[in-house]
Amino acid sequence: MSDDFNEELDTRGRDDDPLMEELRRAAGRFDPQPPAVLEAARASYSWRTIDAELAELAFDSVVDRPATTLRGGEGPRLLTFAAPGLDVEVEVSREGPRRRLVGQVVPPQTAQIEVHHGGGVEPVQADELGRFRAEGISAGPVRLRCRLGATPGGRPVVTQWVSI
Amino acid sequence: MDASTQVRDLVRAAAAGDPRGWDGLVERFAPLVWSTARAHGLSPGEAADAAQTAWLQLAERLDRFQDDQDRVGEWLAATARRESRRTLGAARGPGPGAPAAAGAGAAPAGEPEREALLWRIVRDLSEHCRRILRLLTTVPPPSHREVAAALGLRVAQVQPARATCLQEFRRRMADIGIKTTAGDS
Repeated sequence: MSDDFNEELDTRGRDDDPLMEELRRAAGRFDPQPPAVLEAARASYSWRTIDAELAELAFDSVVDRPATTLRGGEGPRLLTFAAPGLDVEVEVSREGPRRRLVGQVVPPQTAQIEVHHGGGVEPVQADELGRFRAEGISAGPVRLRCRLGATPGGRPVVTQWVSI
Repeated sequence: MDASTQVRDLVRAAAAGDPRGWDGLVERFAPLVWSTARAHGLSPGEAADAAQTAWLQLAERLDRFQDDQDRVGEWLAATARRESRRTLGAARGPGPGAPAAAGAGAAPAGEPEREALLWRIVRDLSEHCRRILRLLTTVPPPSHREVAAALGLRVAQVQPARATCLQEFRRRMADIGIKTTAGDS
């Protein structure tokens, strides 16, 4: 029986086990999706960027090197975002419910950077060595939008969203 | 119009800048994204962040679906899983909201009526069965591919896992003396 056949059955919602029906009702009662989560999903569309280069998450120390990342949030988390010809490295430290970002643009260059996070947009400047820092960033989804000094007329670079 | 054509149209509309396409995708798949994060044992706050991260990533990726717009549900489920696992990797050690407690919602308060008892049994299952059943309680029902993507299983594993876990669930109901069908006297 092919997966497509199963697919069709699923699409018609054919699950006539009455116990599953009861469990669905229970899930709806005891673990429903909060309205704020649904609303945040809708609002996510407004963050869509059209004309920017996307720098994807190439390395995350909590995923790619878990043994060396101290659990309990003691040590910094290291993220690397990569776009053609550009890396943005970010060290994330916890300050209670907030986060501090200490970053580096590679190759080193000045950049105007916006940190998009739950608390809004925090503008920071990378110095001529590409170094930048941002404090008081809300935990949760975050991304960086960078206007690079080396290519002043070029497209901005936005990193992938990641939850910190 | 069948379901997969509807989903394709929603993705195309959203990619073209129409927020109604986006809202349609949210309505259809937000429960799946939420269920996936919760099935991985994230607390409600963590699940909210993981879910929003998945949707934010989708907003950036709408243009990149070619002929596979109808697979957006699987993409969202896989992304919610990836973000959930990232959260688990970054989280502090066991504490309030530890996976076993967080995975299936609040403990129902008050008199243990039937649905509350059933929900408690879900919480007590193995992690594998808790996850499978949590995903399968999503409304609208996810496809086998979406469940597989949400839990990192092969598609062919989903139906047997469902059967095994429901069997285990029924066994536990019998152990504590709950009738397997509501309304049995």
